[in-house]
Amino acid sequence: MNPDVVSAIALLRRDNVLGNAQATLFDRVARRRLVSVRFEIRALLYAGVLLLTSGVALLVKEHRQDIGPWAIAGGIALAAAACLVWMIRKAAPFSWGEVPSPNVAFDYVLLLGLLLFASDLAYVEVEFALLGPRWPHHLLVVGVVYLLGAYLWDSRTILGLALTTLAAWRGVSISLIHGSLGAGDAGNLRASAVVLGALYVAAAALSVRLQRKAHFEEVFANAGLLLLLSALVSGVLGSELNWGVWLAALLVAAGLVMWLSFRLGRSLYFAQGVVAVYVGLLRLLFEPFRYHVTGLPFFLAALLGLGVLVLILAAHRRMRER
Amino acid sequence: MRPESVTWERAAEVREAAQGWRRVEAIDAPTEQAIREAYPDPCITPSAVWRVLTAGMVTAVFLCTFGALLLAFRTDQLGLQVLMLLFAGASLVATEVLEVSPQSARRGAAGATAFWGILFLLVGFSLFLLDTVRVRYDDAIDAVLIASLLAWAVGSWRWGSPLFAALSAISFFLFLGRFPYGRVLWGLIGAVLAGLAARWLDEASWAPSHRRGAAILVVAGILAAYAVVNTYSFDARVLEDLGRSAAARVAPSPSLFVFAALATAVVPLVVLMWGVRSRRTFVLDTGVVLLALSLVTLRHYVHLAPLWVILTLSGAALVVLALAVERALRRAPGGEIAGITADPLFADERQQRALQIVPVVAAFTAPAAAPEEKGFAGGGGRFGGGGAEEKF
Repeated sequence: MNPDVVSAIALLRRDNVLGNAQATLFDRVARRRLVSVRFEIRALLYAGVLLLTSGVALLVKEHRQDIGPWAIAGGIALAAAACLVWMIRKAAPFSWGEVPSPNVAFDYVLLLGLLLFASDLAYVEVEFALLGPRWPHHLLVVGVVYLLGAYLWDSRTILGLALTTLAAWRGVSISLIHGSLGAGDAGNLRASAVVLGALYVAAAALSVRLQRKAHFEEVFANAGLLLLLSALVSGVLGSELNWGVWLAALLVAAGLVMWLSFRLGRSLYFAQGVVAVYVGLLRLLFEPFRYHVTGLPFFLAALLGLGVLVLILAAHRRMRER
Repeated sequence: MRPESVTWERAAEVREAAQGWRRVEAIDAPTEQAIREAYPDPCITPSAVWRVLTAGMVTAVFLCTFGALLLAFRTDQLGLQVLMLLFAGASLVATEVLEVSPQSARRGAAGATAFWGILFLLVGFSLFLLDTVRVRYDDAIDAVLIASLLAWAVGSWRWGSPLFAALSAISFFLFLGRFPYGRVLWGLIGAVLAGLAARWLDEASWAPSHRRGAAILVVAGILAAYAVVNTYSFDARVLEDLGRSAAARVAPSPSLFVFAALATAVVPLVVLMWGVRSRRTFVLDTGVVLLALSLVTLRHYVHLAPLWVILTLSGAALVVLALAVERALRRAPGGEIAGITADPLFADERQQRALQIVPVVAAFTAPAAAPEEKGFAGGGGRFGGGGAEEKF
């Protein structure tokens, strides 16, 4: 029970702010006489899909010799097809606007079907080496199929998967856990990340401007900014000689992001810009003291942090968040 | 908590509820406005993004200032302790100042200063015990755990932070684990704590954040009691390892293992039943997590089938269970059974679904293609994109 809300409902009913029917329903919920388990159902579905795909992956790994490649590939394809057929039967007609899910399982069956498809494609590629030395291109196929699935069935989750899979195809890992852009030549990775990031941000802008799945904007923009700003920060912190150029690029890009996000009322984009600028400027503060042990750069970093705090407070006061 | 802060919190609860009612159009805009006027909340409450950003920058300022002073004065051990305690004091004073003003109380800065203040206090105290007073290591751990229990508990009570309540509970149980019969104490006190805290969950005289703290204590008590009876915890002597290094270890009898095996199966079911009967979703969620842990424990000791069979079947079972529950609830009269419904009610489902993008993408994205693997020659690729990163 939420006693504060319960007592407020009684007062609001007495003062005729709430009608009887409204107050009765709200009171039931506030007193926990009516409780939603929708979140729990979603969590179970998510865990189920996670376990199922892990089980299939393990089956393929341990028994590919016993079962045979055709049986494995055919079995997974059949399961994926079953999911996708169910999707097609249940899905609402396509629209460029936001389409609500027909039921709570829809998103998860879509996820399961596409993950099984991706697994099957990866297995076929590993087993039959269709693409040969260009095997990473199967990630491009998977990414494009995810993208199509996201648009067809209006899923921001699948769109997120599509964008990270396309980044993986270019060798870029959007992983906050590993803290790096991926394995391989840092320069190439940064270039790929900058290009992909700019493309995603452009896609976000076009989604809104053309009113084509405008609600995908946040997914495109967040993935794009994460890639773009991470690449620039990585250039500032990881380069030995031309870090100044990277810093200048970072300041320009992040400044632009902050200015635009301020105008658009997008706090998350603004936050990404602020954090990127702060981390990038730390190199500028610490670089002159690289070979001296002194507290001065820390002091300057603290002062910079105070400046950023003032900026955050001012931006929050003036930004009209959407 | 200060009386003004409690009043602001209560008003914020009502306004948040009204926001939910408005979201599903159960009330119109003028009604929501009338409620907001009836329950004024002078506090500025930024969104989570602003709060996290502010807390992060306050942390950066705090740690950089500490680092600057540490290097500037090049202090010895005593100086380090004094500096830490000074910083702790300054942070706690800053928290009080920030909490007084409705302009700054909920911006995230007060939470950050309180957290670092208490942490520095505890680290400074630990260094004082070990380096200055030179007490024995085991005694120092005991003293620091008691200090931690008290400091986080006082912090939670004063500033209403559920995180501090959790840290206090963790310190408490770690301290209990230091005793020779730590396992017994964990079980007894865990059960008592869960029972006592549950009585305060709906207490009108408590501030909303204190009630949330009570919910944290209920979960902590349940988890502690479960940790006592879990078979793996018995077998691996997890709790006994928390004890003092000189403590004698007594091997548990076989009959206790049988009891533990039974309890591992029964406790999650009891918690689930409690969750369903009380219609408290956080208890229900705790029961689900415990049930999953019990199944993992079962699999650890009894190999019913190969792992892939277990994973696939349990995954399929979860999906079927979720769909069956959802269908049963949806088809029930009024869309509810015993006061439980699958409708989102007044929750912000759009936001919940947006938040789900991050774990899904983190779990299921294929690993990045490494350029040096271009020379693929069959059998060197990766099976990914399905939540797996198995190498062939």
